[in-house]
Amino acid sequence: MDQDFVGLASDCQYWLQKLSAWDQSSTLETQKDTCLYLPQFQEFLRQMYEALKEMDSNTVMERFPTIGQLLAKTCSNQFILAYDESQKFLIWCLCCLINKEPQNSGDSKLNSWIWGLLSHILSTFRFDIKEIGLFSQGLGYEPVDYYPALLKNVVLSLVSKLRESHLNGFNTQRRMAPERVASLSQVCVPLVTLPDFEPLVEGMLTYHGHEPQEVLCPAFFEAVNEAFLLKKISLPTPAVVSLWLRHFPSLEKAMLHLFAKLISRERNSLRRIECFIKDSLLPQAACHPAIFRVVDEMFRCALLETDGAPEVLAATQVFTHCFVEALEKENKQLRFAFKTYFPYTSPSLATVLLQHPKDTSQLSCRHFWLLQRISQMLREAVEDQACGSCVDPFESWFLFIHFGSWADMAAEQLLRSETEAPVAALLWLLAFYYRPLDSSQQRAQTMVVLSRLQLLMLSRSTPLSAKELQAATGEGSNADPTQSVCGQLIRHLFLNFLLWTPGGRTIAREAITLMACTDEITYEIIGFLDQTLYRWDYLCSEAPRSAKLARELLQELQAQV
Amino acid sequence: MEPLLQQLERFSEVLSVSGTAHVSTWGPETVRRALDWARYLRHVARRFGGHARIRSAVERRLRSLWGPEGRGLTSFQALGRGDVQLFLSLLRNRALGEAAGRALLLQLLPGAGPRDADAEELQARLARLARYRAALLLLREAGSPGGERPALAEDPVLLTQAQLLLGRLREAREAEAGDPGGWLGRVWTRAPRDHFLQVAAVALLQPLEKELGASGPETPGEESQLLVRWLLEQSEVLAAFCRHLPAELLTSVAGRHPALSRAYLGLLTDWGARLHYDLQKGTWVGAESQDVPWEELLLKFRSLWHAPPPLQEEVLAALESSRARGGDFEVPGLSVWTDLLLALRRGER
Repeated sequence: MDQDFVGLASDCQYWLQKLSAWDQSSTLETQKDTCLYLPQFQEFLRQMYEALKEMDSNTVMERFPTIGQLLAKTCSNQFILAYDESQKFLIWCLCCLINKEPQNSGDSKLNSWIWGLLSHILSTFRFDIKEIGLFSQGLGYEPVDYYPALLKNVVLSLVSKLRESHLNGFNTQRRMAPERVASLSQVCVPLVTLPDFEPLVEGMLTYHGHEPQEVLCPAFFEAVNEAFLLKKISLPTPAVVSLWLRHFPSLEKAMLHLFAKLISRERNSLRRIECFIKDSLLPQAACHPAIFRVVDEMFRCALLETDGAPEVLAATQVFTHCFVEALEKENKQLRFAFKTYFPYTSPSLATVLLQHPKDTSQLSCRHFWLLQRISQMLREAVEDQACGSCVDPFESWFLFIHFGSWADMAAEQLLRSETEAPVAALLWLLAFYYRPLDSSQQRAQTMVVLSRLQLLMLSRSTPLSAKELQAATGEGSNADPTQSVCGQLIRHLFLNFLLWTPGGRTIAREAITLMACTDEITYEIIGFLDQTLYRWDYLCSEAPRSAKLARELLQELQAQV
Repeated sequence: MEPLLQQLERFSEVLSVSGTAHVSTWGPETVRRALDWARYLRHVARRFGGHARIRSAVERRLRSLWGPEGRGLTSFQALGRGDVQLFLSLLRNRALGEAAGRALLLQLLPGAGPRDADAEELQARLARLARYRAALLLLREAGSPGGERPALAEDPVLLTQAQLLLGRLREAREAEAGDPGGWLGRVWTRAPRDHFLQVAAVALLQPLEKELGASGPETPGEESQLLVRWLLEQSEVLAAFCRHLPAELLTSVAGRHPALSRAYLGLLTDWGARLHYDLQKGTWVGAESQDVPWEELLLKFRSLWHAPPPLQEEVLAALESSRARGGDFEVPGLSVWTDLLLALRRGER
């Protein structure tokens, strides 16, 4: 216990020095410095209170002789008093110093001095002109009555000045000087979490001065972003978008914050992931191409770093889905061409991929045709030697995986087509989706395997048993470790079969039990079922028996792990 | 109901007393009990805020207690703030004894009062007040560097005080022994005069619905009408109002309130009539030192000249009829009205 106090005592000295330095002058530099240390100082005050509340006056004076000086200096530092909960901890510390049983005049003096300090920080705000304070008192009003109203009026007056300044263009008289806006933004740093300040924060974020460089101070952006991510403040979407456009580190931080939530140990369902993503306002912000590129870049990096981990893949797909929704709701006038969002691939490919079908209850010819088209375009981009290195195959794949539901649809189509429809395109698409780095030869081999499986599953002659099916799929994977992802593809094909065909549904449970031999595979199957149900919900497809079965299987598997 | 209303009365008294020297007789127990009482009433206010009958009964009783000083409780909403008001009133009071003072300050520590699940504790609200104060000080620095004051009509401080004035006026109007006119008179005698005039002017410029503390659907604009009527009745105040406030502000106010614009023009006409032409100086001068000088008169008229239509026409009509009465001269130097019109028209080109 004593060691803690030693640390605290030296902290006391440190902070006393800092406060003295801040006291000396009130330039923009000292203000910036003060704002940097606000959170740490608050923590110090809190720790101080925890220590002081256990002690009596004499011990306090022994251990922390300079505490009185420190607290007094704090009382005159408006930045500290304006920040978060610092004023609360300060008041508590002061109260702890009160001598509850004063023995002599020295003790009484101390108490009276503390009284003075507390009065000072809670006292009526004396404006420049003494008459004003007297007037309010003359009317019989107390600060508690009119501070909130006064603050509101001051905030509104500043907001309208900013707006005027914005609208008045070259009329320099009505403009707020850039230095003033800058110092205003610095002053707002401790105050962004005060609800009454929201209009001003919003006003400053949407204020565009006439200077070429950014006028608001970076600490302001950071404070607002932090408050927004921790949900201590709520801002309208345009203000948040403006924040991220003007201050790149804030956007990065917001993305990292989102990633931390999405990729946790909990293996969230896609519905929950969608909630997190929509909540973050990033999809709406991404309608602005500059922001979209940054966000996309982060997804790209994450995929590369994790070697295409399924969680990241799923997150990318859900994000894209939310993004497309937001884009559609966006004002038509502000629409950018698709190629601004996806500059590394052919624009026509992006356009086709974005034509998301709304309803797959009847997998119509149109969908089939679209899949053919997508497959063809990708194939050309990836395998066509004439084009050479125009488009990096990874980029094509990266674009494709944004719209992962096409691959799922290809798998469904494979197992629902009863005619001799040309399925080569679908097979290629699936092989490419799961194994983008294969050479054309390897891909061709995979396609052969898939084709064989498809025929097996669709053959009506003999109903298959679970064991037979497993044996069949076992053929597809050798001991070769590079075939592990191919195994994933085969399992997904298999699962589609189980859900879509009557024959499959009867042996579904048995087959899955056989398949789910490891935890990893079980999680994979759970992910697949979750994704399929999510997609069906969104597409309002009517497949009651399949959906019911999928839901039941999902519940059973989740209970197992 | 009646016990509650009686407690209300007694607490209101306690609150009034808390600002006086009488508190020197209070001990720590008294302070604690008074605060407990305040907390209880706050709890009542929160629970029955939505209950129309109770609320109106409370407000009726408070109106009957209404004192012109505005001490004590004045509205239902004030019940919710009673504890903070009491605390601050005692904090400011130098007459409070040492032991009682200690007991008061110790209320600031967390957990000092009984826990109320959904209400913010006293100490949290006081801490927030400290935060507001710091915010206002910071904004004052940033908003007006070098101490420049904003235009009067836009000054948030004046605006807030105008809202307070209108709020009090409404309470005075509704109270049983109200006498809003008398109350205004008292404020006028005690307050710094220029400041009072500025606040009154800003109050008259307020849009009709926005009055601080408006709790129900009152007839909007009644308070402004009250203020106008009072101003018109008090010739001394009206004269000071029209003389000492900036021309632009007066024009805006006159534009809003036709009765005032007539009175204003009347005064200007009287003042103009007191001027005579001094041949040596070549300008119009007043007979006595407190007469309104020519330049000031011109300034005021110029501002009115540029006012929006109804007022502008009124001004033109007044000037022309004055000129006609004065002999309808065209040549400068013979009638102050001619010269005014000439100067105003000249200024336009």
